[in-house]
Amino acid sequence: MLYSINNEQLTMKLIIGYLYGDLMNIYGDSGNIIALKKRAEWRGIEVEIRNISIKDKLEKGDADIFFFGGGQDQAQELVSGDLISSGKEKIIKSEAERGVPLLAICGGYQLLGEYYQPHNGPKLLGISLFPAYTLASFDRMIGNLVIDSMFGPLVGFENHSGKTYLKKEATPLGMVKKGFGNNGISKAEGCIYKNAVGCYMHGSLLPKNPKLADWLLQKALELKYGKKIELKPLDDSLEFQAHNTAVKRFS
Amino acid sequence: MRLAIAILLGKLIAYFTRLFKIGGGSAAPGLYALKVHPELVTSLSRHIPKNVVITGTNGKTTTAKILAHFATSTGLKVIRNHTGSNLERGIASALISCFNLKGCKLNYDLGVWELDEAAFNTVAPKLKPDIIIFLNVFRDQLDRYGEIDTVVQKWCQTLKNLPAETLVLINGDDANIAKLANCFKGKVQKFGAKDFKIAGESITRAKEQENLDFEAKNIVLNGLDGSKFEITANKKSYPLNLPLPGLYHIYDALAAFAGGCLLNLPIQQLAETLKDYSPAFGRVEKFSLNPTSHRTPTSEVGYIFLIKNPAGATQVFETVAPNIKLDDRLFLALNDNLADGTDISWIWDAKFEKLTSNRHPELISGSKKMPKQVRHDMIVSGTRAHDLALRLKYAGIDPKTIILEPNLQKAFKEARIGLKGHLFILPTYTAMLELQSILAKSGLKKQYWEEGN
Repeated sequence: MLYSINNEQLTMKLIIGYLYGDLMNIYGDSGNIIALKKRAEWRGIEVEIRNISIKDKLEKGDADIFFFGGGQDQAQELVSGDLISSGKEKIIKSEAERGVPLLAICGGYQLLGEYYQPHNGPKLLGISLFPAYTLASFDRMIGNLVIDSMFGPLVGFENHSGKTYLKKEATPLGMVKKGFGNNGISKAEGCIYKNAVGCYMHGSLLPKNPKLADWLLQKALELKYGKKIELKPLDDSLEFQAHNTAVKRFS
Repeated sequence: MRLAIAILLGKLIAYFTRLFKIGGGSAAPGLYALKVHPELVTSLSRHIPKNVVITGTNGKTTTAKILAHFATSTGLKVIRNHTGSNLERGIASALISCFNLKGCKLNYDLGVWELDEAAFNTVAPKLKPDIIIFLNVFRDQLDRYGEIDTVVQKWCQTLKNLPAETLVLINGDDANIAKLANCFKGKVQKFGAKDFKIAGESITRAKEQENLDFEAKNIVLNGLDGSKFEITANKKSYPLNLPLPGLYHIYDALAAFAGGCLLNLPIQQLAETLKDYSPAFGRVEKFSLNPTSHRTPTSEVGYIFLIKNPAGATQVFETVAPNIKLDDRLFLALNDNLADGTDISWIWDAKFEKLTSNRHPELISGSKKMPKQVRHDMIVSGTRAHDLALRLKYAGIDPKTIILEPNLQKAFKEARIGLKGHLFILPTYTAMLELQSILAKSGLKKQYWEEGN
């Protein structure tokens, strides 16, 4: 029996909860899942990806990290309805409060705010994790995006017409150096609350920004195993080369 | 008068771009002529007795080329827009080159026009097509077109306003395209493949999709040599030998065949002419890696497969991977120019993992058989070479086996040093154009505007 206890301590495991992966997976969002999975596996951490979509139930502890991608308008409407009617809204919020890391991009990010107001029709309600709201606009904000953040510079590609406004109490993920960010005016991009991060950065974001990827993994392991975790360093020379070339190319 | 000036201007621009070798003259003449005479496409295309319009994300050029091949082999004179210039200016350029200054027709029987997903909505009504072919809709350059739903909605709107006598052909295997049937008041016919399904977006086979007017059956894939299959139409069956590798090309050939049938071309004859078909520029190409003078039957061969979006690239990987041998090399090039799409996120949706599944055991990272000397069998290039190399790393390819060289010319040179097998080149659109010119300069190929299209 001693053997199995040791074994359990040796092999850690993470469950990535992919929120509405079948509906919300516009351009390259899956790259974030690939990055989290590979970077965990390269350190001997087992990974399971759990798709959580409409009709699925979500309970506390079902996922150690959440990922929530972008979607087309129709999909976003469906998802907004399901978040609230299925009760996932409450679980995601309480899990984020507990410190479960979460990454949301574009449409997913918008649904973590208070609401999204389209041009026509009623507001789509978000889950109000971030003190923020989004209004439809006629400007399309497209292009490479470089920001300064607590993870150093982050680089990605934005493509949105919704403009997100942060309330006073919200903390932006970073400040725009090149590109539009949340709304093209405020210079703020994204939002961060505890270990939950939302932003407009496709790219995919995590492969070229490994510090953020590792921060999400580390927070997830620390919460799950209740101790300080130091991730084994990886050879990230290619990641940083790609990161630096992109930053140089766009700024 | 205005029309004559527009044509003259276009012709002059075409003449000078060729004279000074600035390019193939496939867009600029039309662009400027349209400024002089905005309705040029409407005015000139009405002189052509029959017009076919082809749109969709993937396969437009190949479908147009096969259909033109069918028509010319039955003796028809065909005009079409060349080398992927599928905006209005490309159509205008082609029309200008085929008309004299009075705007008189030069005896063309058929126009075959490929149109970009967005250009379709403005240009198709001007061409007053007899036949429209919708191939597929995949995620492609969201930075230019917006989302799939939006693309399909706009097509639907355009179809609603077209005359009922237009013949519409749609891909019955693509659920997004199949929706278009309800948008049109006239007749809609469907094509599709039995047994096989292309990988990609929402490809389904719901009950209502069972009634295909043109169906590919008994498909046998023969690696890089192409495929064999039968097409059933009007309860008859026609065997086809397609000299293009990859399942996705079967859809192109099928769509072209269906178009040919609706044009009342002699069907039996159509099927037989395909063996003489040579592929569309840069989509799939085969060339010798030795200069023309030193060619031997066993020469190393280069293959070019265009990649431009997740679905198309994944289909190319599926086609190429099983045919890569130990001495062969893979040359991938990713550019982020406007024509490629400036958002390269798509590489994370393309299944680069397929390239590792058939990799020689010696080349899989962590393998005990890994030779002491690292083999460089992957060359990665283009403006976003670093992103591409990173994608390959996350697909399970050891970065040590990758040569990373953003400059295409240098990369191509590296790729050929010590090469004992074949070279598989997988570039995005502008990287493909640049490589064509590098190949031409090395005496391996002609300049693209000198090639017969």
